[in-house]
Amino acid sequence: MDSSSLNSVELERFLNQEREKAMLNEMVAKLTSVCWDKCITSTPGSKFSSSESACLSHCAQRYMDMTRIIVKRFQSMQ
Amino acid sequence: MGSFSTGSSETQISTKEFMEQMNFQLAQAYVEKFLQTVRDKCFDKCITKPGSSVSGTESSCISRCMDRYFEATRIVSRAFNASR
Repeated sequence: MDSSSLNSVELERFLNQEREKAMLNEMVAKLTSVCWDKCITSTPGSKFSSSESACLSHCAQRYMDMTRIIVKRFQSMQ
Repeated sequence: MGSFSTGSSETQISTKEFMEQMNFQLAQAYVEKFLQTVRDKCFDKCITKPGSSVSGTESSCISRCMDRYFEATRIVSRAFNASR
């Protein structure tokens, strides 16, 4: 038995963790892309203005609120 | 049973090696995708009238744009993690 290898339960746990990590990374990437388009309207400067960074932060939060809002409304439409 | 064998060859790798290889490949794929996004966003912002080469102004814009996009990712990531 190879002492450096792990069993298949560990492997399954690893794959599940990686899958979740990948999903979270993808969500952040999507949020950043959408919020960049919404909030950074002028040529990029050497730092963000306070309104630009606030916009990015708010945008991410509101986008995540959207899921809850849409699901709730959809359920009330049934 | 903690190792894999490939189809035709006799080589086997351990689960640990498999995990390390996967980690590396996933990280590479992530970086590749991220840089493609940065390229697209900064092309939009900085190369407004494509000339016969990249100008000094465009070059500075690209550098700033990359820094800002990295920063935007941090800001969004923080907001995302705070609400999970």
